[in-house]
Amino acid sequence: MSRYSERRKAIEASLDHQNHDGKEKKVNSKRAVNQHLTIEGDKEKFKELLRRRLIECGWRDELRVLCRDTIRERGIHNVTVDEIVEDVTPKGRALVPDTVKKELLQKIRTYLHEKAFK
Amino acid sequence: MCDIGCPHLQEIKASKGVELYRIIFSSFVAASNSVARKRKAIHCYCFVCKSVDYRLHSCLNCVYFGCYNGHHIQDHAKHKKHYLAVELSHGNVLCVACGTYVYDDDLLNVAHELMVRAGSRLGMGALYRPWEPSTKVLELLRKNPKRRKIVPGVAIGLRGLINLGNTCFMNCIVQALTHTPLLRDHFLTEEHVCRPEDQPGCLVCEVSTLFQEFYSGNKGPLTLHRLLHMIWTHARHLAGYEQQDAHEFFIATLDVLHRHCKASAPALPENENSQRDNPHQCSCIIDTIFTGGLQSDVVCQACKGVSTTIDPFWDISLDLGRGGNNIGDDSSFNTSMGSDLALSGEQSKQTNSGPTTLIDCLERFTRAEHLGSSAKIKCNNCQSYQESTKQLTMKKLPVVASFHLKRFEHSSRLHKKISTYISFPEQLDMTPFMSNHRNNRNLFNSGASSSSSSSSDSAGEWNSSGSGSLSLTDNRYSLFAVINHLGTLDAGHYTAYVRQQNNHWFKCDDHMITKANLQEVLDSEGYLLFYHKKLMEFQ
Repeated sequence: MSRYSERRKAIEASLDHQNHDGKEKKVNSKRAVNQHLTIEGDKEKFKELLRRRLIECGWRDELRVLCRDTIRERGIHNVTVDEIVEDVTPKGRALVPDTVKKELLQKIRTYLHEKAFK
Repeated sequence: MCDIGCPHLQEIKASKGVELYRIIFSSFVAASNSVARKRKAIHCYCFVCKSVDYRLHSCLNCVYFGCYNGHHIQDHAKHKKHYLAVELSHGNVLCVACGTYVYDDDLLNVAHELMVRAGSRLGMGALYRPWEPSTKVLELLRKNPKRRKIVPGVAIGLRGLINLGNTCFMNCIVQALTHTPLLRDHFLTEEHVCRPEDQPGCLVCEVSTLFQEFYSGNKGPLTLHRLLHMIWTHARHLAGYEQQDAHEFFIATLDVLHRHCKASAPALPENENSQRDNPHQCSCIIDTIFTGGLQSDVVCQACKGVSTTIDPFWDISLDLGRGGNNIGDDSSFNTSMGSDLALSGEQSKQTNSGPTTLIDCLERFTRAEHLGSSAKIKCNNCQSYQESTKQLTMKKLPVVASFHLKRFEHSSRLHKKISTYISFPEQLDMTPFMSNHRNNRNLFNSGASSSSSSSSDSAGEWNSSGSGSLSLTDNRYSLFAVINHLGTLDAGHYTAYVRQQNNHWFKCDDHMITKANLQEVLDSEGYLLFYHKKLMEFQ
């Protein structure tokens, strides 16, 4: 099967589910988009772009400090990854600059638009 | 947590090696080809709840995917006694028996290798690897517990420079150089290795000492008599107590630094990498930071054959004169601008009155120029002397872009200073002046163009990059130093504005340093403008 028809199938599959109830439709189209992005390798590119932007704006360094604080607070031998994740995730999400979110959203939207109508 | 994993991991490594990890990593974490990516896309979901995210893990013993947040991978581990699992977005190894992620040097090396391979196959360039202190650095840090913290408002890096008699041209350049972020980092980490007995009078060593002085925390002004003397010996045309041109001094300094770096370069083994990437280009710190590549396309008007050459440059000198270099006939001019009507309208207005912004100057610099009937060039394609057009574009951007506004006009009859106000932005996007961007525009006449308006707008940047939609190259710059010339051609004075920490600007007038603000900097006349790349490519 060609790459193109693979892509078409994924997108059509997401459209087919429009008759189902809202939640399932959302889940399915999310899966289709995810599959498509993975197959094309573009998911990695988006991730890399995000990674670069987060390093560039200092988010990575801020998060490093937050993690260090949590580890220091709880003691290096009593802390688990889960605890750090739980502690840092809400703060980390809040620290992502709006410009970065906007840029990624815009690019993903443009990308999906281009692909869906090709 | 240590770097040999945990007993469970050691056990599985002893019996099966790292091969299993490698297979899982190259298929599901960093899929390196389209087959693997397809497999990953179709098969990677939690066997229990069917979700694709929530920290999906793959069992290291059998074929099983389970999510962490739903506790499904942990259930599998306990049930089957398969305690080790690989997390699928970063490839870290979870040991359910130990209840945490475990790190093993062998596996980490495999992961890095595969990550880089997958990245380069997708054309993403080198990946970021955080800085890790070497054992030597750690030892030094332990031995020297005293730390100096850089907090906002601290005056570190600001030193006045005594005027030794018309040496403001040197002082302002030194201020700009010492506040070049990458150059500062290079010298403060003592990257310059040189044997003084082999290299008497090495300017790089002198500059290295100068950087240490600047950032030592002392506040008194410095005297640069040694530096001045060295420049006099190595660049004879600048010797003497006369007024000199700051731009000339800048170029001469870079040239001497470059020559001296080269002389001591073989001692530096880490240069090999960049040498391989740029065989014809030197890998010294000066070239790494300041050298860009200028592409010159000469198009024969008879056969439309293009001959392309690429020349290195350290700075870009921009004409401010009215009309500029001969524009030739309007038709060639229009093709170069594509169907961008709004822009070309604006442009033709500018050609009458001279440029008013840095963007105008760059537009003029990179547009096709008709060479005229008096300057026929032999075309390699049709083997005859023909009229042609020439266009300059940026092939490779330097880390530091230095713009020289040609304010001093020296023609046969008159010498004068052009004091026209040229506005320059704090943030500059060089994308519109890149070779590939310009050429695309010429070929396809794509109407949607980015000009000065989109330079600060990241959303616009996406549209302007057109076909290469997911390109990761970033051509944004920010201003970090401005050198101004006050007075006339015969009697003038140089001052510099430098950016200390992110948004703190200072005015350096020989030994006097005063606080400034961005607006003041942007309102100044501007003679030399220094921009630093915002995002560096990793090598």
